[in-house]
Amino acid sequence: MYGKGLRPLSIATVAALVASFSLVFFYAPLDADQGFIQKIFYLHVPLAIVALIGFVIGGVFAVLHLRSGDSRWDAYSYVSIHMSVIFGVAVLITGSIWAKASWGHWWVWDEPTLVSFLIVFLMYATYYPFRYAIEDRERQARYASVFAIAAGAFVPLNFMAVRMAQSLVHPRVFATTNGGLPGSMMLTFLVSLLAIGLLWVTLVKFELTAKSASGQLKRLRRALDAPAPGGSSRVAPEVG
Amino acid sequence: MLPLLAAAPALPLDEAGKYVAGAYVVFLALIVVYVAIMAAKLQRIERELRELANFAEQGSPGTPGREAEDVPVDIEAQPVAVSDRNLTPSEAAAGRPDHARGSPDV
Repeated sequence: MYGKGLRPLSIATVAALVASFSLVFFYAPLDADQGFIQKIFYLHVPLAIVALIGFVIGGVFAVLHLRSGDSRWDAYSYVSIHMSVIFGVAVLITGSIWAKASWGHWWVWDEPTLVSFLIVFLMYATYYPFRYAIEDRERQARYASVFAIAAGAFVPLNFMAVRMAQSLVHPRVFATTNGGLPGSMMLTFLVSLLAIGLLWVTLVKFELTAKSASGQLKRLRRALDAPAPGGSSRVAPEVG
Repeated sequence: MLPLLAAAPALPLDEAGKYVAGAYVVFLALIVVYVAIMAAKLQRIERELRELANFAEQGSPGTPGREAEDVPVDIEAQPVAVSDRNLTPSEAAAGRPDHARGSPDV
């Protein structure tokens, strides 16, 4: 069920990523201020945007789970958050590389954008131990949904707080003054954003497909474990 | 794409270039690691599925006479791929008949 349409989606994702990287390196002009280093921006910023939106989407799925009680929404929420955490790792690493090249330091603590993203990332990193500390599956799903909603609501608040912070150091993608990005850079950025967004959707779908297959396998194993109608109990073989 | 590549300037792989290359390599490495983990997971699922299918085929004899009810008539003529076959609990519990064991593994 989840694997439906995965193949064309994967092809579209690869095509979008290739187009995006081609535009980044062969079309977008060098930034007058930062030079070649600015190329990291086409990777780092879309990753950050998609990761943050993914966290919010995880919260929306969690709302649907609490409203309906359908465990499918819990799986969607879990996978969305899981994928956004992975993207968050990429954001932190690529951001650190940019900071080292531009500022000379891998990390600075007085930059609100960095620290706030780290706070969001660490908050979601606690999602896993929080979730798996609860043994009962229903309670686990319910508590995880509450966490996902609360944390998902924090993300846009955090984003707005950072935008309002008066920092002149961290570059802004969509500047509200002085015209923002020129057309060629904007096009490249939007294609990169589309490619990274597609990548997120594809990987979420991929993960859901794998989870679905794993779940069906467990159901099959349980069915084989069940006592046979004749009365003899059958135990499925242990697989490492 | 090719004219674009031909017209492209040489990438400035100087001091800044190594950082840019590093960022993109990290991104690609993360994707590769993720895909490798998922591939390992899918391999495990496939292996477990194969073992369960084998178990269902070679399981205990079950109630005499059940095999005749559950065996598809044309199973000799058209061997069913194990992983494509949806086993019902009763079918799985009853096991497959001996002559179905030669069906190809997928």
